[in-house]
Amino acid sequence: MDKKLAVYICSGCGIGDSLNVDKLLQLSSDEQKVTVCRKHKALCSVDGYNTILKDIETEKFHGLAIAACSPRVKTEVFDFPKNIIAERINLREQVVWCSEPGDEDTQMLAEDYLRMGIAKIKNISAIKPYIADSISSDILVIGGGITGITAAIEGAKAGYNIYLVEKEKELGGKLNSFYKQYPANEPFNILIDPIISDRIKEINSYKNIKVYTSTTIKEISGQPGNFDVILLNGKEVKIQVGSIVTSMGWEPYDANKLSHLGYGKYENVVTNIEFETLIKSNPDIQLPKNILFIQCAGSRDKDHLPYCSDYCCSTTLKHAKYIRELNPESSVFVIYKDIRTPGLSEEFYKEVQKDNQVFFTKGTVSDITPENNQLKVTVKETLLGDDISVKVDMIVLATGMTPAGTEDMNLTYRLGKGLPKLKYNFSDSHFICFPYETRRTGIYAAGAVRAPMDVASCLEDASGAMLKAIQCIEATKRGESVHPRAGDKTYPELYMDRCTDCKRCTEECPFGTYDETEKGTPLVNPSRCRRCGICLGSCPERVISFSDYSINSVSAMIKAVEIPDEFEEKPRILVFVCENDAYPALDMAGSKGLKYSPYVRIIPVRCLGSVNKVWISDALSCGYDGILQIGCKPGDDYQCHFIHGSELTQTRGENIQETLTTMMLEPERIKTEFIEITDYYRIPDIINSYVETIEDIGPNPFKDM
Amino acid sequence: MIDISPDIEFKKELKRLSKSSLNECMQCGTCSVVCTLAPEERPFPRKEMIWAGWGMKDNLIANTDIWLCHQCGDCSTHCPRNVKPADVFSAIRQISYQHYACPKILRKIVNRPALLPVAILIPVIIIAGILLLAGTFRIPDGPVNYSKFFPHAWLNSSFSLITFLSYSFAISGLVKFWNDLKRSRPEAKPKNGLLISLFKNRSGILSHSKFGKCNTQKSRKISHFLVFYGFIMLLVVTAFAIIAAITHNYPLAFTNPFKILGNVAAVMLVIGLSIMILNRLINKNSINSTYTDWSFLISLFILSVSGVVVEAARFLNWQSAYHLYFFHLVCVWYVIIYLPYSKFGHLVYRTVAIAFANSIGRK
Repeated sequence: MDKKLAVYICSGCGIGDSLNVDKLLQLSSDEQKVTVCRKHKALCSVDGYNTILKDIETEKFHGLAIAACSPRVKTEVFDFPKNIIAERINLREQVVWCSEPGDEDTQMLAEDYLRMGIAKIKNISAIKPYIADSISSDILVIGGGITGITAAIEGAKAGYNIYLVEKEKELGGKLNSFYKQYPANEPFNILIDPIISDRIKEINSYKNIKVYTSTTIKEISGQPGNFDVILLNGKEVKIQVGSIVTSMGWEPYDANKLSHLGYGKYENVVTNIEFETLIKSNPDIQLPKNILFIQCAGSRDKDHLPYCSDYCCSTTLKHAKYIRELNPESSVFVIYKDIRTPGLSEEFYKEVQKDNQVFFTKGTVSDITPENNQLKVTVKETLLGDDISVKVDMIVLATGMTPAGTEDMNLTYRLGKGLPKLKYNFSDSHFICFPYETRRTGIYAAGAVRAPMDVASCLEDASGAMLKAIQCIEATKRGESVHPRAGDKTYPELYMDRCTDCKRCTEECPFGTYDETEKGTPLVNPSRCRRCGICLGSCPERVISFSDYSINSVSAMIKAVEIPDEFEEKPRILVFVCENDAYPALDMAGSKGLKYSPYVRIIPVRCLGSVNKVWISDALSCGYDGILQIGCKPGDDYQCHFIHGSELTQTRGENIQETLTTMMLEPERIKTEFIEITDYYRIPDIINSYVETIEDIGPNPFKDM
Repeated sequence: MIDISPDIEFKKELKRLSKSSLNECMQCGTCSVVCTLAPEERPFPRKEMIWAGWGMKDNLIANTDIWLCHQCGDCSTHCPRNVKPADVFSAIRQISYQHYACPKILRKIVNRPALLPVAILIPVIIIAGILLLAGTFRIPDGPVNYSKFFPHAWLNSSFSLITFLSYSFAISGLVKFWNDLKRSRPEAKPKNGLLISLFKNRSGILSHSKFGKCNTQKSRKISHFLVFYGFIMLLVVTAFAIIAAITHNYPLAFTNPFKILGNVAAVMLVIGLSIMILNRLINKNSINSTYTDWSFLISLFILSVSGVVVEAARFLNWQSAYHLYFFHLVCVWYVIIYLPYSKFGHLVYRTVAIAFANSIGRK
């Protein structure tokens, strides 16, 4: 079926100076048989927009292409009725701003992009979002410590019904055993009483918070908007929620592993949490005269916890302060690796330092020996210019935080009962780009289960995660992806007749979107989907598609390019570019006027992980001389917005190399590069050097077949 | 290995004298980095700041480095925690004067504003006593002739005695200091004894070479240079005058080279001291000026000015010449008696510290 289409070419921003726009119009109408072809000197102007709008009303076409600036800009201007397919063709940033004006190759580049854009419109359909029948606006909060309580209060304030589940008899978590809390604001010279009891009282004033104590979770199934939760507290309680905040907290590092610091050997060696609990239970206790604190006890240590737990420095300062207040005769010694008191906590550090009998030095405790009821501590590598020995009556180990396990959530996802973890076992939540998001859509991590943090940060986390949980419910109601492709209304559609139950999609989806039957047939949960298309890239049978992004639409774009024959010496290189970082980097390179080879033909992809092998073989058989893939950094400190899309590209790449070998093609014909958005300046080098490599190898032998 | 037992009282005294919240030091080391005098090995004042925080009196007192500092105040200016290392150093030096003072009572007298009358009364009584003994305690008739008021023999012998006593006390403190220094750095064997080290080190001290390295307050080198040499020249002139009183006619003629030298020295002192006093008045922030600083500067200033006035009074035959002369003598005695106990003591302690530092190769 031929669709009735329109093409609008903008000649503003230098496009008209660099390209022969009339020739492009002619190509659209004569070669591509586009019904309406117009040029305008500024399509983004009121007049330009109205011209298009008037055509939409009178011409009744299916889709239109706007050949102008990058689709990343002026999205609010080029906003058309949803039943019209509107495609943006990037003639500005990725043609005229990065290529020689008036050049034959520049014109050919623009022509190919027109062909590709038009091919895409012909092969996609208008978007109809997936919206489930009944969507719950209630929110489940797991863990009733300070983070969970605060999250529940924030959610209730915003008008949502909250279920707060705590496995212990009482709400409050770790803070219940705290004697004092260190100040997060002025005045810094006063310790404050733990805020937890006030928060627990506050909870009771909200009718829309339902608290379940002594309750565990038997099962969580479903998807954002429709999570089915079975609670267990003597009996089973079934609830349905739209999204979930996990604030399951932390445990102190196991001090039994710290026998080199005297723990377990001498009874007057305790951990900071034991010390806090001791004072909480008996504030009138007679404290010994000399107390020594060892900071980073089992932290920032390759044999124990490699990371900094954030709270221990300020906690020791707090201990020093109240020890001195409870016993003015006492002296406190603090042996640290570094005192870390970020932000305003520095003021608190200075307050404690003012005390004449609190002594600080950097150092490494090398030996602890008992001597006349005391412990003689030897410290090396001090700031005092020599090793020192101090006789003390008590040693407190400032131990770090380890995250609580999340397996108790009992998720019925095929990828596990808990949340996926990062290298230090904290639940993966890429904070810089996507705070609080876990790899389970609709489930948000807050507090020390996400990263080591103190009370003040937990409060902030609680609000942040609750806002994300609310955002998730509202986006799900509109049938939109929550993040990172916020607002995307497409979703994976499976042509099940051809599915072979190979399980690639269910295994490779980083977000557990797919459940599967016993046979292995994928069962899609569209609201769990982040719309990355990794499943689309994984499927050997090509059964998965999105309404505006499919095997066919990209294949059509690949095939739309005019490949010059080998005698013209104009190689063609197909570049799959990740939309998240690489595509904007290309735009930035263009807007900075960085020039690169006009032999590349760029196709944006949702994630490198969504590149299907069939596109590669299509490109090679069409006669492209090389294929370059540019995406985000994989690895432990990955920047892939979909966790392991780039990693998959690497593993799949090995298979593709085998294909190349069987086709008797050079391995260099496919190359993958990883960049960050700020690496735009590397673009010309990446592209030009690859073009050179391809020119050296020579044309693709399949070119004329 | 240091066995830690902090001297809290010492720490409190340091905080009081320096007006520094010295425990707030976070050991960043900015002070040692900006200091142009700090050696690369074990630089100051960072380590002294943590010693101060830990109340380690022994380490601080028996320490060359507090004397290697020339108090330019760069460290205090750049300190991110505003703990004023320069003032802490100054306070440690004050405590050192106290520590090595012999007899200690004199240090107390010179160091307490409340005891200023006593401090002045001591030289007054001594001079009055000598005059009574000599039987000349009255205003003589005729043209002004100071030897009629204070006979040369009495003056010169009593002055020499007082100076000798004062220097002896200073030397006993110095020897103690030298031995403490040796104890504090057992691993660093000094190449020479005190005297040879002092001799070897003369050029550095005489040329003020370290002073020139301080970046801030360039005028301090000039003023210190003027006062240092002015003072030494006056000592030489005085020594010559004592001899001259026995062998030649005294007082010297106005054109006598030693008289000229003495007058030039007086002018150098007045100019140098004026610059110092002005500097302290203007640069209030970088360095805290203590009572000891002021009493030393002002007594030396009055000594110099009164010397010039007394000389003028003799030539011009002023009525009040003998009163002024008495006042001048009190100033001279005041400075000489309290030399080891006042800020003037830095002359001897710093010299010894520099000598020790050089003899152990600390540059």
